[in-house]
Amino acid sequence: MENEQRSTRTLGDPIVITDGVKKWFGDFQALKGVTATVREREVVVIIGPSGSGKSTYIRCINRLEAHQEGTIIVDGTELTNDIKNIEKIRSEVGMVFQQFNLFPHLTVLDNITLAPQWVRKQPKAETEEYAMELLERVGIPEQADKYPGQLSGGQQQRVAIARSLAMKPRIMLFDEPTSALDPEMIKEVLDVMKELAHGGMTMMVVTHEMGFAREVADRVMFFDYGTIVEEGTPEHFFTNPQHDRTKLFLSQIL
Amino acid sequence: MTVEVRQHQKTPLWRNATVLKWASQVFVLFMLLFLFGALGSRATDNFAQSDISFGWDWLSNPTGVQIREGIDTLPDSGARALTVGIINTMRVAISGIFVATLIGTIIGIARLSSNWIVNKLATVYIETIRNIPLLVQIFFWSALAVGLPSLTAEDVGTYWFKTSNRGFAFSWVFPDGGFWPWLVFIAVGFFVGRWLLRRRRQHQEDTGEPGHGGWYMAASILVFAVVGWFAWPVLSFMEPVLEAIEKFVANLPQIIVPIVIALGAIAASVWWIRGFFESRRTPAGFGKLTDDDWFRVVFAGFAGIAIAVVAFVIGEFTIKTVAGEVLSVAELAIVGVSNFFGWLGAKFNATDANTVIEGIRSGGPLVFERPQVILAGGAQIPQFGSSGMVLTVPFFAIWTGVTVYTASFIAEIVRGGILAVPKGQTEASMALGLKRSQYLRQIILPQAFRIILPPLGNQYLNLAKNTSLGIAVAFADIVAVGVTIVNQTGQSLPVVLVWMAFFLTVSLSISAVVNYYNRRMQLVER
Repeated sequence: MENEQRSTRTLGDPIVITDGVKKWFGDFQALKGVTATVREREVVVIIGPSGSGKSTYIRCINRLEAHQEGTIIVDGTELTNDIKNIEKIRSEVGMVFQQFNLFPHLTVLDNITLAPQWVRKQPKAETEEYAMELLERVGIPEQADKYPGQLSGGQQQRVAIARSLAMKPRIMLFDEPTSALDPEMIKEVLDVMKELAHGGMTMMVVTHEMGFAREVADRVMFFDYGTIVEEGTPEHFFTNPQHDRTKLFLSQIL
Repeated sequence: MTVEVRQHQKTPLWRNATVLKWASQVFVLFMLLFLFGALGSRATDNFAQSDISFGWDWLSNPTGVQIREGIDTLPDSGARALTVGIINTMRVAISGIFVATLIGTIIGIARLSSNWIVNKLATVYIETIRNIPLLVQIFFWSALAVGLPSLTAEDVGTYWFKTSNRGFAFSWVFPDGGFWPWLVFIAVGFFVGRWLLRRRRQHQEDTGEPGHGGWYMAASILVFAVVGWFAWPVLSFMEPVLEAIEKFVANLPQIIVPIVIALGAIAASVWWIRGFFESRRTPAGFGKLTDDDWFRVVFAGFAGIAIAVVAFVIGEFTIKTVAGEVLSVAELAIVGVSNFFGWLGAKFNATDANTVIEGIRSGGPLVFERPQVILAGGAQIPQFGSSGMVLTVPFFAIWTGVTVYTASFIAEIVRGGILAVPKGQTEASMALGLKRSQYLRQIILPQAFRIILPPLGNQYLNLAKNTSLGIAVAFADIVAVGVTIVNQTGQSLPVVLVWMAFFLTVSLSISAVVNYYNRRMQLVER
């Protein structure tokens, strides 16, 4: 059943290419040369202990953090200091945060339509129609006129996903999307993410949800001390890990 | 096992928490009124024994007060003298609030700057200014200005800008004959501009094209201002209209005043009660009112009726005017409103205002004046003439003092407000591809403003109240003028009461404005 779901997706051309990416915070080196390629429609799950650089890595992909060495090419555009390129890539790459980061002074609908109106310059009616469609997809169309503060954590995170999708991104980044949620709300968010994956979205997901990784991921990357220690299919990764560090990590969380 | 339940019985009134709460409040209110009444009559008796009768005659009597600066330096009555002081205070407070907000915002943002020099300059400004007592700073500005060279006979002439130990004089634009009709044109331009702004916003929403609504609005105001500059005499038909209203009001019977006030008060209380009932209505139907709610309704109704009754009583009180007439309060109100329309009507007189007098009248809405140094009086002392804007040393000292001082606090409030918006808001905006200018305006500033507003209101209140320190440098504000009146008449208590009423009115007005915006900005949660 699980394999069947995965096999419905055929992977396309490389869309995110990172080569020897290094990043320092002061004296601390967070990334020590990360080389990896993500292909279209691929779902990559990134796991690892805290402080291993996995969040920093995906934040480099839309330049929330600037890398200092190596190259990052997203959708054919290299990330440099060029602001035009950065803004273009950010509008193609959606991101979902651990703390949701919804705009508390705007209604759910306005949260979703803001970027399409200001960045894509789309007519308001069109953006609202699409926003309602997205809210249907994440299962909370009735919350459109409420403010984020009136919603539960799970609902807020689903709005945050809808907000990113409203820009019709080609890649979605998830930075521990369920870590701030109660157990019963985790499922509703993961369900939305699974549906996205089946729809063929390219996804890079930092998470501790091993069930999600097993079921949905095409590839699992294990980060430690700023490098990819091991990567492979979930079957390989969970049943036959090669490195001692991976084995230790899995033994502690499974 | 059975649980013994105490028998339900109706709660007696003296154990009902709601009744107790309201009864105690009503009791305290009456006690307070009684206390003030007793103190008042006691004070009146004491004044009577010490040959100083507590009263308000000084308001209408000539007081012989001389004021150093203001709209009238030799006022003919106590009320007029206080008015001059009030206007001087308001000049400092209002312009001070605007400039302190501007400086404070710039310094606050500068302190967040990553530019080392800008950042440190802002820090030094804040840490120096807010840690020195305001009074000392006011003395400092005063000493600085007094240290400037004095005017000599050689200085006689016309200037763009001139400093001296008598104050600062600079070129300024003043309203002239056509000013009020011109304002009407600008107001029309504003409303047309707002209409255009809405249409452009709608266009932006419909098509996604940038609307540039702000530019349309600015252009509309500019066009009307330019047209009005030349076309303002066409509004002279307003003069006879306003004069007709003036006559109509003057001929109204005086009973109309308490009737209008009473109807207003009762309408207000009915409106409040209706709104209250509406607010208790839910989609499920009309909620049950608690005892507390009923008390509020009764209280609001009672307050409306009480104000109505008091209006009739006070309307009969008589007051002696400057001219020596004895008028009732109601008559005085009618005369006041009628005079207001007459005054307004005179502003639209085109023939008189249109006369060009060289150097005094421009024949237009505004006149530009440059300051002059002239030789005046029998002793031919060099001093500033009446044209241009002359800031006296006391005005400069108190204005600069309160503005610079308050700006340092506002800077910290602005900085704190911006820092208090979580970093995640910026990150989420950036991740969506919004430009810096876009997310600052749409996301960060609206949230920062919500945090900044309440403490900002406090700073405005402080600024308005701190203007009373002007007395230290002999600035002719309401406090200084009041002190002079007390010295002349011995009426200390009434003057202090006027001060209190004035500052209370100013502070409550500022609070009302701030609270209004605060309510509008509040976040909806749960």
